[in-house]
Amino acid sequence: MKTGFKRATVPLALLTLTALTAAGCAGGDSGSGSNKVTVWMYPVIMDPKANAAYWDGIEKGFEAAHKDLDLAVEQLPWENRDQKLATAFGSGKGPDVVLLGPDQIPQFQANGAVQPVDRAIEKARSAFRPAALEAMTQDGKVYAAPIYHTVTSTLYNKKLLDKAGIKEPPATWDALKAAAPKLKRAGVATLDYSASNEASLNMSFYPLLWQAGGKVFDESGKKTAFSSPEGVEALTFLVDLYKAGAVPRSALTNANLFTDQALGKEQVAMGYTNTPSDAALAEKTWGKGNAIVGPALTGPRKQVCFGMPGGLGINARTKNLTGAEKFITYMTEPAQIRSMGTAGGFFSPRTDVTVPNGSPFAKEYEAALAHTFPGEPHPAARQLMALITPEIQAALTGKKSPEQALEAAAKEGDDLLARQR
Amino acid sequence: MSKLEPRETSPDDALPTAPPAAAPAEGAARAVAAAAAAGRRPAPARRREALVGLAFVAPMLALFLVFRFGPTLGAAFLSLTDYRLSGEWDFIGAANYTRLLNDDLFWESLGVTAVYTALYVPMTVLLALGTAALLYRTLWLRGFFRGLFFLPYVTSIVLAAVIWKWIYEVEDGLLNSTLGALGLGEIDFLGNESLVLPSIAAASAWKGFGYSMLILLAGLQSIPREVTEAATIDGASAWQRFRWVTLPLLRPVLFFVLVIEAIQAFQVFDAMYVMTAGGPVRASYSLVYFLYDSGFKFFDFGYASAVGLVLFLVVLVFSLIQRRLIGREED
Repeated sequence: MKTGFKRATVPLALLTLTALTAAGCAGGDSGSGSNKVTVWMYPVIMDPKANAAYWDGIEKGFEAAHKDLDLAVEQLPWENRDQKLATAFGSGKGPDVVLLGPDQIPQFQANGAVQPVDRAIEKARSAFRPAALEAMTQDGKVYAAPIYHTVTSTLYNKKLLDKAGIKEPPATWDALKAAAPKLKRAGVATLDYSASNEASLNMSFYPLLWQAGGKVFDESGKKTAFSSPEGVEALTFLVDLYKAGAVPRSALTNANLFTDQALGKEQVAMGYTNTPSDAALAEKTWGKGNAIVGPALTGPRKQVCFGMPGGLGINARTKNLTGAEKFITYMTEPAQIRSMGTAGGFFSPRTDVTVPNGSPFAKEYEAALAHTFPGEPHPAARQLMALITPEIQAALTGKKSPEQALEAAAKEGDDLLARQR
Repeated sequence: MSKLEPRETSPDDALPTAPPAAAPAEGAARAVAAAAAAGRRPAPARRREALVGLAFVAPMLALFLVFRFGPTLGAAFLSLTDYRLSGEWDFIGAANYTRLLNDDLFWESLGVTAVYTALYVPMTVLLALGTAALLYRTLWLRGFFRGLFFLPYVTSIVLAAVIWKWIYEVEDGLLNSTLGALGLGEIDFLGNESLVLPSIAAASAWKGFGYSMLILLAGLQSIPREVTEAATIDGASAWQRFRWVTLPLLRPVLFFVLVIEAIQAFQVFDAMYVMTAGGPVRASYSLVYFLYDSGFKFFDFGYASAVGLVLFLVVLVFSLIQRRLIGREED
């Protein structure tokens, strides 16, 4: 097959795919010239104005430090970021540098879409938290340089707990089960949960699975492992809560968006939070003193919550590798780690940098940081979620038992893993 | 031409001075004369005329070839490969199609799409026909109402879907609040596997009926008043006039609308993506959703292209049916 033919045909075909699904490629032309470095960034800082101001400052600071380079930070929404990146990478376009999470790396690395950043973090390597760096590592190479760290801990509405006569926020499975009938009598649900196909299981079912002592993949990574007694225990816990009215019925189709969903509307007493700015927004909505950030939820076997570093990766087809590496080096310097953490309410991925955090909730997040788990890296991690979610919905609606649902998901999941190259 | 058949449209018909009865014959005579005149033109003049015509069509033709025809061919080719995210690919023949035929999820999504189409098309066409008939009889503020009914069509589908999602919400949605106020129980419109498709179809019908309404209104306005007046004089009731006079004359337009809406329905994605994300338990997981997941979640571009080609064939079949039916009507 002639290479020229390949070059001409494939972009056309990808164009069709994009048109057919209306998914669209974001950001227009992201190709970089020889001195241009393009970055795809997301609203890591919740306040849009503050986010724009922060990245404007980064552009100016970087260009002042590297007068030969022209930095363009393009802002994209969080929604469909994998899809947009896949479209861009697949058509040989996309940014030079992009923000990546640990669960995105294996799939893009396996498909040859990203390249290692080891050279860019050579000097700072020993300063990173080992767990943060490990989460970004694949086959011994680092594919994204951590610039911040998140913790997904619990968030409670004190007003609703008080209304139900609950003095201590329920922090264990047993406490949750005990609180559910009291909260129901008070007219609210207990736990905000999203079983939507578009919601990440890292923020919903997987923490329950880990708390029960279960795993998503087996040691070899060639088989799923969630259809286990621990998995069934986790799903049964969730189904019981749903049947008891402790999880809002809208959970089947709703995403966990604070502002629009049950937690924000004070229809449920407990949910999850990623950053102090989440908690600050909750307090603003519910009234002073009504938002409580709790510890990582404790299951029958483990106290664990999701938390991950956010890092900068490099497009395998970048035309400006040197510029991309210089930007990553710049962003991992202590000054930028500190400013990023301060602006976004994040934790430092470096042990030698402390982020000054004026949030009244900082202490609680810091405590939960010790229990964070960045998920199980696997090239098919994201795809597997698309197969598990409908089965969780089937269990919640009573169409299948937790055992049947997990078995069905495992069968589809194992087929998917068998198809992986 | 029978009186019950739609009138041939020609620019002459619109002339206010032409006597109604003589107009069609006159128009036809002029057309024949024009054709004869054209036939007498010398060949270079005809060629020049054709070239001028082609020059006018060329920009649109170029756009069509680049953005429609080319990508379709590209997708057809891609469906025969295992194109990967890295840009590498191998030719795998019909393997994607074989896999598709054995994929339960493909059949499930095709079934969902067919059921959705069966719900959406009648809802939309009936709504469009009803409002078109009302507008046809409305003389006061007709333009205002026409604009009002057309408004949802020009609204963003995402915005419309978000609003309808709020309306359908179990906990405090508009519909359930109303049902609650009436002392009726809550209905989980989007969380119930049996109700989710009718609910999405109703929301989409609200969003989409405006376009068909305009076409049907134009169709109604093209029916000569003397035909319905004759039926009235013969003692036909309003329903009889509609059933036996208006509806048969409207048939070509109605067929067009039916086919356009069916094609639209087969490509449903946005509403399902926003309102239910394909759930619950894939009860609203359409063929285009399956295509989207295959390409952009599973990065299986070749397979997704095969799904796209199947969808293209389905739409093509509908278009051919439309052509055939309308062609037969015109004959």
